[in-house]
Amino acid sequence: MTKPTRRTHLYGFHKQTGKTTLFAGFEMPLWYKGIIPEHMAVRNEVGIFDISHMGRALISGPESEALLNYVTTNNVARLTPRSAHYSTMCNEKGGIKDDFVLSRLEPEKFFLVYNAANRKKDYEWLVQHSRSFSVKVEDVSDIIAMFAVQGPKAQITLQKIAESDLSKIERFKCGWTKLDGASVFLSRTGYTGEDGFEIFVWDTPLSNPAKAEKVWNAILKAGKDFGIEPCGLGARDTLRLEAGMCLYGNDIDENTTPLEARLGFVVKFKKENFIGKDALLRHKAEGVKRKRVGLRMLEKGIPRYNYEVWKSGQMIGRVTSGTFSPVLECGIAMTYVPTEHAVEGSTVMAKIRDKLVKAEVVRFPFYDPKKYGYRRQKNAGVRL
Amino acid sequence: MRVLDYDIPDDLYYSREHEWVRIEGKTAVIGVTDYAQKSLHEVVYVETPKVDSQIEQFQSIGSVESVKSVSDIFTPVSGKIIETNAELAESPELVNEDPYGEGWIVKVQLANSDEDLKKLLTAEQYADYIKSLEE
Repeated sequence: MTKPTRRTHLYGFHKQTGKTTLFAGFEMPLWYKGIIPEHMAVRNEVGIFDISHMGRALISGPESEALLNYVTTNNVARLTPRSAHYSTMCNEKGGIKDDFVLSRLEPEKFFLVYNAANRKKDYEWLVQHSRSFSVKVEDVSDIIAMFAVQGPKAQITLQKIAESDLSKIERFKCGWTKLDGASVFLSRTGYTGEDGFEIFVWDTPLSNPAKAEKVWNAILKAGKDFGIEPCGLGARDTLRLEAGMCLYGNDIDENTTPLEARLGFVVKFKKENFIGKDALLRHKAEGVKRKRVGLRMLEKGIPRYNYEVWKSGQMIGRVTSGTFSPVLECGIAMTYVPTEHAVEGSTVMAKIRDKLVKAEVVRFPFYDPKKYGYRRQKNAGVRL
Repeated sequence: MRVLDYDIPDDLYYSREHEWVRIEGKTAVIGVTDYAQKSLHEVVYVETPKVDSQIEQFQSIGSVESVKSVSDIFTPVSGKIIETNAELAESPELVNEDPYGEGWIVKVQLANSDEDLKKLLTAEQYADYIKSLEE
């Protein structure tokens, strides 16, 4: 039996103005105007995404920090209230159960945002491990709408309808404000490489989507003068790939470790204990045998999921994600290769439909971080 | 004619793989249909065969790549490639903007067009085929 397709609060908008696709059981927008114009709107101006399909959980109670420090790899003790960090959860073997952003709302209250495909798995994992801690774990996925407003003009767009000064919320900080009169929680985070915010419209069940629609429409109106575009999952994928960010299920899964995936910066071995620590310590001591790298095509062709990667007559890996980069105007991909081949600037071949096509091993992000992304030099790459 | 959201010119022949062919005497112009370009969306590369290569009906002679996917181009007729659309190297979006005009892909010197055409669809048959796909 197939499960019924799920929808978000904004389904009406997506169906009316975009082309939809099935993703993690949800009927979501693939694109409205097109992947390339939406992608470029986010790189140069601003875009808005409905990402209410994602999983969200509240973890509260006196031992919430202790639980999260045990199930996640980053150091939760260092996460101050109104801050967020990127992190992973691993299984006992050090394989990645999921990657996510964790926000600390209050000293004893946390908010976890995880992948749509892992909604059930993550929640059950948290609940299972919460039994020996004095905490409460609540799945709030269906009662909070979630949007991302991303791009160099995200802040000035939202400021037009925000009650408080958004410049006070720095990157990876979070807090409460009102947008167009509606109470929202927002974090200065995202999945595009650009500056931007993720907005959580609290207390908005699917059965009563009015508040979510009101905020969505107010943002679209506020961003009109700045060239805002509603963006679908197509642009979300090309944007995150250009930024070098992993997609769970493709680039990382339970058979990859954070060290292979080059996410070692969110594994804090100095922490007392966490699930997967022993396995990851052994893995580190033995040496990481393969690594996630970027491939930039030097010739025409788009390397896609599962395509082979070759070097000196040997297959050395497979593409985990690949697409056309609208900024670089060429094919780009992520792949795992043996560590000895993970050399920036070296040449490998991607097998694209029976042809070996030249590609260069490159660092993330794929774009020039001086021109694009949240660290860009002011005004560089922005059309004024 | 226009069926659902798709243009289907009356004077062309069509394949079930969504290529069109325009017969001009002993030569044929080949491209992909409006339905194909709308399904692919945002074409970024068109891979064409070498001029002078001999091609057999329904053989793959190249590919059309969009951001999201890639599709083979199956030639609807047999013959010899006499020209490929050089504009597509710089402007692959012509396939989206004008699939039956500026977005043409190859020109072929026909080998046995009478036999080939019997295996293709008329505009009306292709329209029915599109309707059946969209049901």
